[in-house]
Amino acid sequence: MMITLSENAERSLHDYLRRARAYLRGSKSVDADEVEQNITEHIESELEGAAEPVSRDVLDAVLIKLGKPQQWVPIEELPWWWRIIFRLRSGPEDWRLAYISFALLVSGLLTLPYPPAGIVLILAGFLASRAAVAEAGDTTELKAQKWLLYPSLIIVYVFVLLTLLTWPLILAPLADEYEHTLIESSSRFNNEGDYWPVAISVIVAGLGLWWSILGAVVLKPRKLLRIIFNPFAEKLRSKWAIRLLLIGLVMMILSIGTGIVYYQRLI
Amino acid sequence: MNAKFFDNWTNQLRKGVLELCILNDIRNRKMYGYEIVRSMRKTEGLIISEGAIYPILSRLKRQGLVETFIMESPDGPARKHYKLTKQGEKMIAQMNAYWQAISGATNSIEKGKI
Repeated sequence: MMITLSENAERSLHDYLRRARAYLRGSKSVDADEVEQNITEHIESELEGAAEPVSRDVLDAVLIKLGKPQQWVPIEELPWWWRIIFRLRSGPEDWRLAYISFALLVSGLLTLPYPPAGIVLILAGFLASRAAVAEAGDTTELKAQKWLLYPSLIIVYVFVLLTLLTWPLILAPLADEYEHTLIESSSRFNNEGDYWPVAISVIVAGLGLWWSILGAVVLKPRKLLRIIFNPFAEKLRSKWAIRLLLIGLVMMILSIGTGIVYYQRLI
Repeated sequence: MNAKFFDNWTNQLRKGVLELCILNDIRNRKMYGYEIVRSMRKTEGLIISEGAIYPILSRLKRQGLVETFIMESPDGPARKHYKLTKQGEKMIAQMNAYWQAISGATNSIEKGKI
């Protein structure tokens, strides 16, 4: 795009083109890349002469005239999953997919003691919610349906996020499992009291290292995070990734330092 | 109920007519995508969403009815233009003949002449 857009407009355009690609790639009769190129040229031509950076309102007026990408391709040309989604959610006033998502979540929670039914139902509810969000495109269109759709998303996202942040803690049970072996093989560890401060330092340093890596990775490709945590990652800012990176580094340095100092004092 | 029937009917009709208009427009002069949209805008009620023109162009190209070529412009960037292929010219002649016949017959039915 040769025209400068405001940050909000840039995001709006990015979402619009992403949705257009998603619909068009499924269609056998059109070349998605060619259509995307035409759409981009169309937007540039429409915005020619507009005050830069172009605001979201100005851009949205152009996008509204272009229409929703789902209006461009006949439903029979879309892949089966899109056809199912459109049958279950024909527009903003159609609540069926939202009800299905919520019902699946509630059923999943009720059957959670009977695995794997509970997990499967929660995941199905999650997929139904994601499908509704993808169909809506703009989350403001969801209005009160959010109350039915978002719980499924939040439950899965919180689980994914916690797993992402804390998986290095699996070092703790490992440290416990190898406690005796490590104490016996080291001349410095005389008992559990010597071993655990060093082991905990290593675990916390591992966690810090992982957070630093995670912070560095999500600093740039925020696009990936937006796709994974859609629609909640919309307001993701670089400063959060920087904070995670710094906290991780501080944790790692302090833990390694503490561990080394403690280990050297052991005789 | 009637409004829904009318919406469905216009949607079905519009799709075919839009393809006919695009092919006729390209037959008369080589045009780029945005130019075709601007041209179609002039006909009230023909396009509901302007973006729908581009998948139609892509489909027509895949079907071998139109082809593209890059043309330099004196007052802007080089643009991809559309023109009819030989197959496209034959097709639009057939489509126009069919349209003339059907619209003539429709008018006659409307006026009670048949």
